Amino acid sequence: MSPQRAALAEGWPVLVSVVLVAIPFGIVARQSGLTPAEIMAMSVFVFAGAAQFAMVRLFVAGTVWPIVVATVFLINLRHLLMAAALRPHFAGVSAARRMAAAFVLTDEAFAMAIGWFRRGRRELRYYASFAVALYVLWVAATAIGVLVGPSIGEPRRFGIDFAITATFIAIVALGVRRRSDAVVALVAALAAAALTSLGASVVAVVTAGAVAPLLVLLARDEPAA
Amino acid sequence: MIWVAIAGSAIVTYVVRAFALRVGLPGAVPRGVARYLDALPAAIIAALAGPAVLVPDGALTRGPELAAAVAVVAIVAWRRNLLLGVLAGVAIVALLRLVLPG
Repeated sequence: MSPQRAALAEGWPVLVSVVLVAIPFGIVARQSGLTPAEIMAMSVFVFAGAAQFAMVRLFVAGTVWPIVVATVFLINLRHLLMAAALRPHFAGVSAARRMAAAFVLTDEAFAMAIGWFRRGRRELRYYASFAVALYVLWVAATAIGVLVGPSIGEPRRFGIDFAITATFIAIVALGVRRRSDAVVALVAALAAAALTSLGASVVAVVTAGAVAPLLVLLARDEPAA
Repeated sequence: MIWVAIAGSAIVTYVVRAFALRVGLPGAVPRGVARYLDALPAAIIAALAGPAVLVPDGALTRGPELAAAVAVVAIVAWRRNLLLGVLAGVAIVALLRLVLPG
């Protein structure tokens, strides 16, 4: 099987779940009062699921732009390490192609590519096919969400306003591998809530989110479960 | 303001993704830094959820959001399915808001 076909054959469940996240993103962003142009620009140019949901939440709260950008930066900082891990596999590739590969780097594309390389395969077309397919689907599914968003009436009554929060909770719960992960998440959530109720809602997320992970440096080294 | 935030977010996101692929990192990342960066995204996302669960609309929750949050964690831990957890959370919030007098 060609690398392109292998990427789609192995990756389609991930691609389906990407669509199932992007449609709600479009809906929720539209319900939050953002314009279709703003929402599409986020999916086309920022292209980062959790960070885009975070941006919507911060826009609704009227957060100033430096705080929005700082929050997005911290959420996506993990991609620095993913790119570093991919770098050796892109050794023989032109800088322009590496720059293009970087634009479509996501958690999912990284995971699929590492799985491919660990099997001893070297074709970069596997990464490129999967990552570009994910990008196209992410943008297209966002557009679907933007289009159907307004037809879902009164968001609060149907709990739609809770969809972003529920997505955040599910993302965090899915990512818990060690006890320290759960502790960090709880501390971050409680600290952010405390700061918010004390009137510091502008800096609550960035502060709580950046400080709580320091706890892992105190934790004993446990192997990931 | 929103457009400036979107442009800024796009730039920092791309720089973070491109930096190590373009110039590479000097040497190995210290273990502590790697662990901190590994824990960072989940902590920020949890920090985004915390206020919405505990102090929605600026006042302490009357229950629906907290109950739904616990349910989302339980369902995701049990079925490992993000969409199922989110749908259940939304349904529980809607139901409890209906039942509890506002």
